[in-house]
Amino acid sequence: MKTKELRQKKPLKCYAIFFSALFAVCCLLSTAVEAKIYIDITSPAIKKLPIAIQEFSGTEGKQIADIVRDDLEFTGFFLSIDRAAFIEKSAEAFNPKNWTVIGAEAVIKGTVHGEQNLTAVVSLYDTSEGREVLRKEYKGAKASIRHLGHSIASDIYQHITGEKGIFRTKVAFVAEDEGKKGLHMMDWDGTDIKRLGIKGNFVLRPHWSQDGSRIVYSSERGGQWGIYLLDFTKMTEKKVFASRGLNITGNFSPDGDEIMFSSSQDETYGLYNLRISDSKLTRITSARWIEISPAVSPDGKLVAFVSDRGGTPQIYIMNRNGYDTRRLTFEGSYNTSPSWSPDGKKIVFVSRVSGKHQIFIISPDGSALSQITDKGNNEDPSFSPDGRFIIFSSDRNGGSGIYIMRANGESQKKITPPWLRAFGPRWSPN
Amino acid sequence: MKRIFLLFLAFVLVFVFAGCAKRTVTAPVTQEAPKETAQKAAPVEQKAEEPVMAKAEPKKVETMPVKEVTEAKPAQFGNILFDFDKYTVREDAKPTLKAVADWLIKNNGAKMILEGHCDDRGTNEYNLALGEKRAKSARDYIASAGVTKNRLDTISYGEEKPLCKEQTEDCWQKNRRVQFVSGKAGK
Repeated sequence: MKTKELRQKKPLKCYAIFFSALFAVCCLLSTAVEAKIYIDITSPAIKKLPIAIQEFSGTEGKQIADIVRDDLEFTGFFLSIDRAAFIEKSAEAFNPKNWTVIGAEAVIKGTVHGEQNLTAVVSLYDTSEGREVLRKEYKGAKASIRHLGHSIASDIYQHITGEKGIFRTKVAFVAEDEGKKGLHMMDWDGTDIKRLGIKGNFVLRPHWSQDGSRIVYSSERGGQWGIYLLDFTKMTEKKVFASRGLNITGNFSPDGDEIMFSSSQDETYGLYNLRISDSKLTRITSARWIEISPAVSPDGKLVAFVSDRGGTPQIYIMNRNGYDTRRLTFEGSYNTSPSWSPDGKKIVFVSRVSGKHQIFIISPDGSALSQITDKGNNEDPSFSPDGRFIIFSSDRNGGSGIYIMRANGESQKKITPPWLRAFGPRWSPN
Repeated sequence: MKRIFLLFLAFVLVFVFAGCAKRTVTAPVTQEAPKETAQKAAPVEQKAEEPVMAKAEPKKVETMPVKEVTEAKPAQFGNILFDFDKYTVREDAKPTLKAVADWLIKNNGAKMILEGHCDDRGTNEYNLALGEKRAKSARDYIASAGVTKNRLDTISYGEEKPLCKEQTEDCWQKNRRVQFVSGKAGK
């Protein structure tokens, strides 16, 4: 599918450049208009907004317009009208009458100039009001045309829904590369796959800091499981904990200065809190049974984790200090891998159903349990930063790959290429 | 000459041991040393020609990484097996564990690494925890036969190092195991 992207593996440095380039792209001219929400995506029943996305005129105009269209369509909130139905030509001025007759409520038009460095001017029109409601200018290298397209989609999405989109986010994940597992990065849509140059034979799914500048992960090196921190701003890796036994990291605290992890370094299993700034280690639990996969809630007050204290692996919730532990899952005999939604109102996890792993969602009070996958084995689910999507790995089409879906289970779609074995995805927070 | 070498080996082992034994829970994690540990993440090697195919399937499984011990030998003891989702030592595993204990008692300077493994039907992290528990159960059994625990090290590979990859009960059973990797120190 997307063989070319991976062929051009680039050094990590590219990320530093990419992140700064993002900011450059975001320096835009904007016509301020009063906020009007076209689609209330918080309402339970959403009517898709019919939108016409015209081919932009000029260099790569079609490609950019297609990226914008694909992004918006994926969210499930838009109905993109077939271009064959368009009456108005790209070069012609916006005339609302040309659009209302084909049912479009919003129209996107744009022009692109430049060869290696592209400048795109994009407008969003409201057909009922018959006027332009958003106009922005974007600059970017032709080589990062997808990022240019994602930026446009992001602004339009935000204008129409009032929420920050996910089109500029990235995904950190584990992939098998020449028989070895290594950390990789890609755009949220599965393009621009790159391997991070880190060591280790085995590596587990990474966790992002809230500001998106670091990831923490567990890796087996030299016969020991250790916890490592990768800082994207400096492109350096640092070992933060290693010992005998098993050390598997959970996620960051909201302020990014602490991580929770599970360790069997002692005679017993335990969940620990590690403050990164001064390396202060606090033992939270001590158990003769298994306690693993701690997930700190977005407000930093609670921890969801997996324990087999009752004989089978189940998900429990406790306060950060280890008190007030209660069992969250009662259905089934195998519930693991909890991860919180960004608003803290849902927990997504994996449950074994008829011998297969499926993804479920539950409220932290134990209500509203629902199963959202039913094909193959599905693992490592977590929410997108806006809470509207879930990313996970699945073997439903043979080898393990990475999939995304809407948080209600709709629009399940594989985003990694078929020849890449990929696992443990985590969506970047921004 | 050989004696000197063996002595040296013993010394190295004791040293490694002491290092491990000193760790305590409350010790602050001081892997700070930014110069050593904060290595620049190496740029990705430019193996640009080949896409990462899912081709090279059957990995050589028999290469067992043994790091802390200088003279590693493949296990002279067969693997012990576990029930699905369980980490209790089965009856059929006990003769092997006794043999391992006897061998360690006889070979005073030797050390054993117990590797815990799982079949691939669990989720990744939980399988690592399960593998670690299996290794620890085996370790405790050997220790109860009179071997000090610090001669027994454990590591879990979860489902990462399967002996076979078929989706059959036979294959899953083979993978739910503890493997013994011995390191010879003194004699």
